Amino acid sequence: MDWFVINLLNGMSYGMILFLIASGMSIVLGAMGITNLAHGAIYMVGAFVGWTVAVKWGAPFWVGVLSGGLSAGLVGLAIERGLLRRLYKKPNEQVLLTFGFVYILSNLCLWVWGGWPRMPFTAKFLTGSTEIMGRAFPKARLAIILAGFILAIALWWLQDKTRMGAIVRAGMDDKETAMGLGINLELTFAVIFFVSSFIAGAAGVIGAQLLGVRTDLGLEVLLLALIVIIVGGVGSIQGALLGGILIGVIDAFGRAVFPQLAMFTMYLTMIVILIVRPTGLLGRKI
Amino acid sequence: MGTGGTQTKQRRWFVNSVVVVGAFILVANPLYLSSYGEGLMTRFLIFALFAMSYDIVFGYAGLLSLGHAAFFGAGGYTVALLKLHFGVDLFWISAPFGLLVAVLTAALFGIIALRASGIYFLLVTFALGQMLFSLAWNVKWLNSKGMQGITGITLPDLAIPGFTLDSTWYYYMVLIFFVISGMLLYRLVHSPYGLALMGIREDVSRMEAVGYNTWLYKYIAFVISGAFAGIAGILFTYYNFFVSPNHLGIATSFLPMVMTIMGGLGTLFGPVIGAAVFIFVENYASIFAPQRWPLILGGLFVISIMFARDGIGVYLWRLLNKVTQGYGSIKN
Repeated sequence: MDWFVINLLNGMSYGMILFLIASGMSIVLGAMGITNLAHGAIYMVGAFVGWTVAVKWGAPFWVGVLSGGLSAGLVGLAIERGLLRRLYKKPNEQVLLTFGFVYILSNLCLWVWGGWPRMPFTAKFLTGSTEIMGRAFPKARLAIILAGFILAIALWWLQDKTRMGAIVRAGMDDKETAMGLGINLELTFAVIFFVSSFIAGAAGVIGAQLLGVRTDLGLEVLLLALIVIIVGGVGSIQGALLGGILIGVIDAFGRAVFPQLAMFTMYLTMIVILIVRPTGLLGRKI
Repeated sequence: MGTGGTQTKQRRWFVNSVVVVGAFILVANPLYLSSYGEGLMTRFLIFALFAMSYDIVFGYAGLLSLGHAAFFGAGGYTVALLKLHFGVDLFWISAPFGLLVAVLTAALFGIIALRASGIYFLLVTFALGQMLFSLAWNVKWLNSKGMQGITGITLPDLAIPGFTLDSTWYYYMVLIFFVISGMLLYRLVHSPYGLALMGIREDVSRMEAVGYNTWLYKYIAFVISGAFAGIAGILFTYYNFFVSPNHLGIATSFLPMVMTIMGGLGTLFGPVIGAAVFIFVENYASIFAPQRWPLILGGLFVISIMFARDGIGVYLWRLLNKVTQGYGSIKN
């Protein structure tokens, strides 16, 4: 029983990180139709900036999270305003462009921060572990689960209960009509892209505990986010949350039961979902 | 574009002369190039073939795949595994087997990936490619002892008495494969099938309304493109003497994307030019700034998307066309 609970909690904490990563990417994809393949690289930028602020400069952890989010948000905003906007209605070119940025951002991070991987870090009061059913469990992981749920509720509220969310949903359903009604979609897109990148960057700092801070994170995180989106479905917070937790938990039990085939359980889940339900569990049609 | 008879004739004359000059240069290359330059040319031909195969699925069928290296690597790994575990280096066994595995992989992945459309297709091809990458990384049988990847691959045995393949002959062998594949692909894209494929790229619902089974057309394009990628992968593995999980994953899938975009989408000529530019820049970057190569590559890619959307190859083609047309009018 305790084995089960511990693995479940491990999976949940990993799944929450996956949710944090995938939610932003999923919203951008649903609302703007842009598959931002640089999302993982933006996550990585946030992780490195957070490391610099929280570990190298010794600032409080939450300052690290904020600065990681802010820097990632600005990078995302620059890509959207500077380049992506000029490729409006050219989905293939947009995708390819963002993929170019995986290489550019990864190499820039290597240039600025060097190739050595950083030690995982977290807030001071979250170091150490607490006891769950007679087993030690890291406090930081519980905090990640909590943070994930808070963000999920906040994003869900934004999506379903606010004017901003209504505009985004309207844009997803019918861009032309929404614009015809006088909604400034340009501004909305910029805000969405910034928020999505901000979440990714902040997740980079929060997730440093689990995924570390490395220059090859860009592609690795991108892959995780894609799998979550494929499983959960594009364009809704609920989909990203369900996909994230499902993949996280399956991965945790996969690692515990068949350590050799660690990554493989995720792919298997993805393929099964694709065959049974090609639009993902809670996907909107796009 | 020529409408009158003389112009069409001129155009044909022009195309033929470009082909003849190109062929002459490619055949004469080993006479004056160093063995290093010869290796670069072999590499160029292999990647040009890889990029052309990618353009079938992306440029002609309009399917943006992020996992094309899966077939490249499947072919390469098969050849390498036959050598590693069974000591087979006879070309006439290894290569067909490699091709078969590449085609089967493409046939399987095509079924899974084409269940999804649009954006999902891209996500799925990416994930499937990375799945092979992770398999190659984790399964011991797929690696030489104590390392990631398979070493100890040599140039293949052609079983011609009194003849052993050296790098110069291998260059010619790759050239022959390149030319034959190029001709086959040319025939393919100019056939009724190829035209229908382009029709599907432009407007799926219209083609469906006319009665085409668009799924089947796309699926066949996907498998054919995988087959030629497999040939490129087999040739590459012999050339490189080493195959690693990276040759299955996104790092390698990215290369034909860059070449196709740089050279010109939806042409067979473009990817070849793109491959030439790529190999040229890669070579100089590896000498002067090996650390910054990914940055240069990414930058080049972004710039060609933003500012040279039609591709360098297509641009060059237009320029040459204009020049010859001007020449023609003076002559007239």
